[in-house]
Amino acid sequence: MRVLVVEDEADLADAIARGLRREGYAVDVAYDGDEAVEKASVNDYDVVCLDLNLPRLDGIEVVRRIRADDVGQPTRVLMLTARDSTRDRITGLDEGADDYLVKPFDFEELKARVRALLRRDAGRSGAVLRVGDIELDSSRHDARRDGHQLPLTPKEFALLRYFMSRPGQVLSQEDLLEHVWDENADPFTNTVRVTVMTLRRKLADAGDSQPIETVVGRGYRLREQP
Amino acid sequence: MNPPGWLVDRLPEWARSIRFRYTLLYSGVLFGLAAIVVAAIYLVLLMNLRHEPVSASRGAFCPRYGDCIRLVSLSEFERLVNSRTLKELRNYSFGALGVLFVASLGVGWVVAGRVLRPIGRITAVARDIQATDLSRRIELPGPDDELKQLADTFDAMLARLDAAFAAQRQFTADASHELRNPLAIIRTNVDVALADPRADPDDLRQTLIVVKRAGDRMARLVDDLLALARRQEPTLEHEQVDLGVAVTEASDDFMVPAAARSIVLDRAIAPGVVVTGDRDALKRAVANLLENAVRLAPAGSRIRLATGSEGDRAWIAVADEGPGISPEDQPHVFDRFWRADKARSRADGGTGLGLAIVRQIAESHGGHIRLQSKVGVGSSFVIWLPVTAPGTQADTPTRPHAAHAPTPVPTPVDRARTRPSFGPPPE
Repeated sequence: MRVLVVEDEADLADAIARGLRREGYAVDVAYDGDEAVEKASVNDYDVVCLDLNLPRLDGIEVVRRIRADDVGQPTRVLMLTARDSTRDRITGLDEGADDYLVKPFDFEELKARVRALLRRDAGRSGAVLRVGDIELDSSRHDARRDGHQLPLTPKEFALLRYFMSRPGQVLSQEDLLEHVWDENADPFTNTVRVTVMTLRRKLADAGDSQPIETVVGRGYRLREQP
Repeated sequence: MNPPGWLVDRLPEWARSIRFRYTLLYSGVLFGLAAIVVAAIYLVLLMNLRHEPVSASRGAFCPRYGDCIRLVSLSEFERLVNSRTLKELRNYSFGALGVLFVASLGVGWVVAGRVLRPIGRITAVARDIQATDLSRRIELPGPDDELKQLADTFDAMLARLDAAFAAQRQFTADASHELRNPLAIIRTNVDVALADPRADPDDLRQTLIVVKRAGDRMARLVDDLLALARRQEPTLEHEQVDLGVAVTEASDDFMVPAAARSIVLDRAIAPGVVVTGDRDALKRAVANLLENAVRLAPAGSRIRLATGSEGDRAWIAVADEGPGISPEDQPHVFDRFWRADKARSRADGGTGLGLAIVRQIAESHGGHIRLQSKVGVGSSFVIWLPVTAPGTQADTPTRPHAAHAPTPVPTPVDRARTRPSFGPPPE
């Protein structure tokens, strides 16, 4: 899952990015409105955490441009605002933001809201994802197959979560790089292939079949039925 | 027209109204005047007319038997007629006065009601207006009379109150916004650091540095907010302040920071200019102007600080050599929380309140502040203040005393009657 944090207070933006990365998200940071629009037009973000009060380009304008760019899966926008007047929040929501959080916020709440926004696309209401005999609890960072806990690294966890949010879909290496790795990943390494391989091995160790299959020439798919 | 208190307390509700009292007054005055006029007419007639009833008969004239006419003299007959007329006049006058009294009560009640109706409207609107909804106005229709003027005065007062409340709300919203950002930084950094069980001492130290930075910013902000709030009260100290001494003291603190950026701070302080006011506030105003200049001016440039007086007004001027303020930004620089470049000046530690405080200090001293600026050339801020004792060497500003590097307290050596190399811009 790829997240863009847009915040002009560098100390805040970096802390949010650090905290979300630890949750296994691929996080990019933009420090002003122009940079945010530029990054959003290049990368396909799943969630944008957006401060409304930005230098150069106002947050509302950023939402508008992100919405204008939306093709396919919509980008979820979580507004962060230091103004608690209802009018600001209404404007933000009307312009296309999906949720808001008033500063200063509890970081646990930010994480929970990001998870909730990601669930909207998956069409589920609970925090636990289930595909076949695989279970993934984002809030507790816990993945199991057949009741056995999987010893996953944060990147493998993020990769499995992305597969589980799109069960049955063929996902190319580019898709995975785009949504699970941040902009610092080198697209020319085989990091995606290696991580998929280790994830598949760990999944196979915990069960009797391989749930992630290779679709030759196109990518990988998580089977809905084992 | 104000009845004594003990009487008012005993009166029923309706009898305590102004309408009732005016009706009584109107009716009473009308009745009294009418009674006086009628009585006067009656008395004049009574005194001037002979009016005894016929007392003696001068015999009788009987043209036919049993059909006699009493004979009286003509004047006696006149008196008889007069007497009867006066009696009739008296009776009708009493009747008319009675009718007039009743009618005047009715008319008075109606007229008083008409006159007082706008006041009822003013009262109703004023009662409706709560502190939260000051947008309503009385908007009394009708000619421009006393009551309309009263209503218009109310409306103007409401408009001022509305503006003041709106400004206060805006200020509170701005202040909370400014305080929430550093709070969010502290909270999020602490949350993220605490959530990581494997954080090493370097990570934690980094978090502490960030938290300290945010804490310092909040402390500065709270200081500035308090300074602004205090200035809003008219509780300024009123002492005689030697402007030259105060400005010199305030600028001494900036010698080292200026030198650190290789900025030259030139001072041209005129001696003996005395103003009435708050010494610390004036020093703070100068310090805020210098702080901006030292922070924003290009390294290696020159900042000029001068004081002087013209007629009954003193001035303090701070001029730098860049970067200048664009014409569209100039009207906003004295607004609270306004920043030319938000991201940069916040990182530099600016609270966005410095110039707002300067303006407030100038205005609370009965003065004002003027700005002249050109992008790429520089800005000059001039504070104008009323002088306390005109004529005390007021018209002899000194030639600029160049104070390169840290040389505290320059002594004004040259007292030639020349203006400093730069002075206040023409107003």
